[in-house]
Formats: sequence, C-alpha cells, structure tokens
Amino acid sequence: MLGRVVVLILSAGFIAGCSGLRPYVSDYDKNLYITTRTEASGFLANVRAAVDIYSVDSDCARQYQGTIDLRKESVAVGLPPDTLSSLSFTFESSAFLTNSRGTMSYDTVLEPRDGYDYDVNVSYIDNIYNVSIRERNSSSGESRELVANFLDSCGNSD
Amino acid sequence: MRYQAIALFGLAIPLLSGCVTHHPQTAQEFREAVPGAFLAKVETFVVDRSFEDVAKTFQSKAPECLNVRVKTTSQSNTSYQVIVTDYTPTVHVSADKAELHLQQHHVQGVLNITEEPNGGYFLLVADAYPIAGGQTQVDLYRPSMGYKVLVQAIKNWATGDNIGCPDLTKI
Repeated sequence: MLGRVVVLILSAGFIAGCSGLRPYVSDYDKNLYITTRTEASGFLANVRAAVDIYSVDSDCARQYQGTIDLRKESVAVGLPPDTLSSLSFTFESSAFLTNSRGTMSYDTVLEPRDGYDYDVNVSYIDNIYNVSIRERNSSSGESRELVANFLDSCGNSD
Repeated sequence: MRYQAIALFGLAIPLLSGCVTHHPQTAQEFREAVPGAFLAKVETFVVDRSFEDVAKTFQSKAPECLNVRVKTTSQSNTSYQVIVTDYTPTVHVSADKAELHLQQHHVQGVLNITEEPNGGYFLLVADAYPIAGGQTQVDLYRPSMGYKVLVQAIKNWATGDNIGCPDLTKI
C-alpha cells in the first residue's frame, strides 16, 4: 500500500514537472503589454489562449523560455530589448458535446527596441483569431502597427 | 463524430469530383471540376474595395494564416481519432487578377486514394478581378459543406472587415 502511495506521489510530481510548459519569468523591464479577448463559439465550448516565448540565436534557432497564460485580460512582461524573440500564440479549443479539441498557433518574431513598448491585442471570436502588435515610443507615445514577421525571414534582413 | 465526418468528406471530395481515378492536379482543373462536383460549389460576390487592396490582403494574410499544420483529436466511447493536416496557400497576383489557392495534405488520419498534387489536394480557389466603380469581384471555388470559418475569413479579407485568421481546427 505504502509502495503504491509513493509511486502515485512520484508520478504526480513527474507529470507536473515534466509537462514541458513553464511560466515565462523575466527580469527585464516590462515592454510587452498583452490584451486578450476570447469568446468560444458553441454550447459548452471553451478556448484557452497562451503565448510561448522563445529566444532566437544567431543561427535563427529557437530556445523555449516559457509560457504566458492569457486567461487574464491584461498581462505585462519584459522581453530582452534589441534581441530577437519568437512569440507563439496558441489557441486551444475544446467542445464538450463532441468531445473534440484542437490547437491553432500563430507565430511571429519581434525584436523589441530599447525605449519602446509593444501593445499586443489578441482576440479569438467566432473561430477567427487575430494578433496585432503596435510599437509605441515610451516617451512620445507615438505608435505604429507592426507587420507580422516570421522566423523564416530570420537572417534575411541584412 | 464531427471529425469522422470531416475525414469522410475529405475522402468524398476526390471520389465525387474526380470520378475515383483522377483528382484535380492544378488550380485550373479544380475550377473546371467544382461546378459539376458534389459537395462543392462556385460562389461569386462583389466587394466595395479596390482590386489592389484585395490583392494586398490576400498576399499578406494567406501566408500568415493558412500556412499551418493542424492537429485535431476526437474521442468517443468506441473511437479515438487524430487527424493532422498541412495547409499550403499560394497567391498569384497580376494586373487584372489575384488568385488564392489553398491545398491540404493529410499527414495522418485520412487515407488518400487518388493521386495527390504537389502541396496537397486543392481545397479552395479564390479569384479576384477588378470591375467598374473601383469594386472587386471574387469567385470562390469552395466546398459547399463545412469549412465555414475558412470561407468567412477569406470573405472578410476581401471586404476588409475583421482581418483575422480562421481556426482551421473548426472546419
């Protein structure tokens, strides 16, 4: 009996610790402000949004840094300035009645500039999702919409 | 059950439109096959937006939203099904026509029974043309069942309203 309890405790710890996802934690000044709105379509349907943060090295390879849960309407985090980061927004939807689920992801890369903040609007409504990013000068408040950049374009800019 | 229906639909399209032995191998063959095909139709509409803007939106949104791999799972008491599909969009723009092609390749969960073109079976073709008054006509060659969210997203791109991406797990 004691053996089973030990196995159960070890299994729970293993599963919790090895899910592969960890919260994104950063010591950088907050420069990424994410506002999220989700509305699942259908009876007893649910959608959950999150964003996985990756660093991008000089070979354009990604290294997972952590995940930000977007269940809160507003979240602010710090990305390293003047360094390329890859953001992977995920929308995990499930429907109780059909016992089905699926995940869509939207990947973009961002190199935050020092002295600028980034306002990200994330929405998932009626099965259509949208991610828009505005770059805002922290001093003047001037802002502009950024076009989506993909990791494929990494290394092609120079 | 829903995904089983989709899988069946995936099989039915090549069966019914291509008479078992042949499935459209090019966008042009797809355009020619759709009007006489079961579970497919041509839809034409006009948007109050310039051809250049519609073409630009197709060029920006198609690679952003439709170049994806989608995994869906469904489960019942007696079955567990996983379908993995790669979608490949292509956009061609000339002075008087913008074409958006969408192909799908089932990586897992659906059996392909006819010859598949490079990039996958053609799922949808949208042709946009400039017409008088600064408007644009769009001809959509598309499935007549399911894929509502995909069709809606492409219509939105044409009109310029709600330029979002369709959740292709919801087809």
